[in-house]
Amino acid sequence: MLRMTNLSKVYRTHLIETHALRGFDIHVREGEFVAVTGPSGSGKTTFLNIAGLLETFSGGDYVLDGVNVKGMDDNARSKLRNEKLGFIFQGFNLIPDLNLFDNVDVPLRYRGFDAAERKRRIEDALGRVGLSSRVRHYPAELSGGQQQRVAIARALAGAPKLLLADEPTGNLDSQMARGVMELLEEINEQGTTILMVTHDPELAARAQRNVHIIDGQVSDLMRETTASLAAVGAASAANAFAADNT
Amino acid sequence: MFRYYFQLGIRSLRRNPMLTALMVVTLAVGVAASMATFTVLYTMSGDPIPHKSDRLFVPRMDNAPIVGYAAGDEPSDQMTYQDAINLLASGQGVRRTAVYGIGSAIDSGRADLPPILVQGVAPTRDFFAMFEVPFLYGGPWDAATEASARDAIVLSRETSEKLYGAGVNPVGKSVRIDDTEWRITGVADTWKPMPRYYRLINGNGGGFVGSEDFFLPFQAAIRHEFGNNGNNNCNGEGPKEPGFQGWIKSECDFIQFWFEGKSAADQPRLKEFLAAYVTDQKKLGRYPRPINVRLENVMEWMKHLGVVSADAKLSTWLAFGFLLVCLVNTVGLLLAKFSARAGEIGVRRALGATRPEIFRQFLTEAAVIGLVGGALGLMLSFGGLWLISLQSEEMALVAKMDWAMLATTLGLAVGASILAGLLPTWRACQVTPALQLKTQ
Repeated sequence: MLRMTNLSKVYRTHLIETHALRGFDIHVREGEFVAVTGPSGSGKTTFLNIAGLLETFSGGDYVLDGVNVKGMDDNARSKLRNEKLGFIFQGFNLIPDLNLFDNVDVPLRYRGFDAAERKRRIEDALGRVGLSSRVRHYPAELSGGQQQRVAIARALAGAPKLLLADEPTGNLDSQMARGVMELLEEINEQGTTILMVTHDPELAARAQRNVHIIDGQVSDLMRETTASLAAVGAASAANAFAADNT
Repeated sequence: MFRYYFQLGIRSLRRNPMLTALMVVTLAVGVAASMATFTVLYTMSGDPIPHKSDRLFVPRMDNAPIVGYAAGDEPSDQMTYQDAINLLASGQGVRRTAVYGIGSAIDSGRADLPPILVQGVAPTRDFFAMFEVPFLYGGPWDAATEASARDAIVLSRETSEKLYGAGVNPVGKSVRIDDTEWRITGVADTWKPMPRYYRLINGNGGGFVGSEDFFLPFQAAIRHEFGNNGNNNCNGEGPKEPGFQGWIKSECDFIQFWFEGKSAADQPRLKEFLAAYVTDQKKLGRYPRPINVRLENVMEWMKHLGVVSADAKLSTWLAFGFLLVCLVNTVGLLLAKFSARAGEIGVRRALGATRPEIFRQFLTEAAVIGLVGGALGLMLSFGGLWLISLQSEEMALVAKMDWAMLATTLGLAVGASILAGLLPTWRACQVTPALQLKTQ
């Protein structure tokens, strides 16, 4: 699903060069739920931004669902992002003056679906997160947990291959966080690959696989859960372990 | 997607309503000021007879004495009776008319109605076809009447209604002017070309105000020695003989002359004819100056006479300058409005919007502001025109907005807001989504 090979990202000013990622290798298989952990400044967000095609990289290769994105122009990356990726942010990032229906509608508009198809997908996505009855509500009328559910519905509506979640429970209390996490697990069980950046070791522990980033490099594979082995197959998980740590 | 962007634009008006209101008012005031003054300029400088203005020509010939001659002198705007008669007989052009202003009192013969003071013109019968004067009843006097300078008259609708009442056809009746019976051949319907190009040098109103109450055959008016109600320019010595006959034999010019050509291409040929005519007249001892002839079509003629005042042009320039100031302000306000939307732009980009899509969305939002500003600007324009119309009777006539100006007002507002939106929209497109998403 996602493979980065010897990837590097350098931020340059006229005075200094900062290597946010260097020799970065990762391979995420279809159907996996991978948690990315690491200390602040380690490169987690840079990795997620590059994975989400929100930033370009300086060197190496990145293949997303069979498409090599190296050298792709901005428009092509936007199109690919719209078709293959879903985003969930720590701050929810809903558009405040659009109701839930219209918020979920945003990525579908850019996909070019007709009105009937969009309606079907929006209702389906909001139904999956348990907010069917609140389609005409505005984000400000919802709790934090509900807002994050809307963000998840928005990410799911386009049926993405890969869901990128950046601290999805960071702004939620523990009860709401648990609900959101259960929803993500459910989505993963239904076949969507999830890549989640988190500081929370408890959440990371619930992922099938952990990737730890330090100083812009993948440093260690923390663990794999038995659940993930069941989901993606023991053999492939073992291969992934080997591949990601060589 | 345009409909989607338009809907977002409408929604965006409600977001930060104070800023939106400021932009709309700024734009509306700028548009109203420029459109109110531009409407006046547009009416003043409009083509009063667009389908043939390029083939109606005013001849001008310099018959002034050699004393005081300076190279580059403009020939007189009118011509002498002698020249008018000669040019009428020349057969040049498809139609010709000499026109001069007359005024008198019409006696209807009714005991209950005192004589009506009227002002009009004495043209040839070609005048009516050349300038497309509409007729309510009858028509111009016939060729035989003209040839024998018989007493015929065309009344204006207004004059006819004063004399006979509305809905009465007076053709065939006679009216008395200065103890002469004039047979009515026609009643001209309301006819007020704007500007009044056929008689810009006149004694009853000016370039915009006034209309003709009656029309007498040119030669009949001369035969009855109607004086000129308008400018009379006697160069040099003036008439050598006394009285009306002395005046019309002199080099005094008081007649407006018009040719109608087959097409605009007749202009150089007619001008050559004028030069040849002056050469012939020189042999008769007239036209002491070097040959200096002009032949101007309607628009050139209006430009020559300065129908559009320099003040009107200056006001329009100033108003458009003011619009520019308003636009600069709108740019600033849009920058503030759009920069507050960086988070939304980041989200849209993350969800798959390309930069061109963001560009189109925000430019449409700017256009929606322009549309609302244009609607308000239109109302303010009407208010501005009303204020202008209070200045004078002439201004009241020209300060009127037609459909073209109405559409231009809305178009200008939308165009101006799109122009003002270009920089803020371009800035909006430069938003780095990754940065915005993290900082939201």
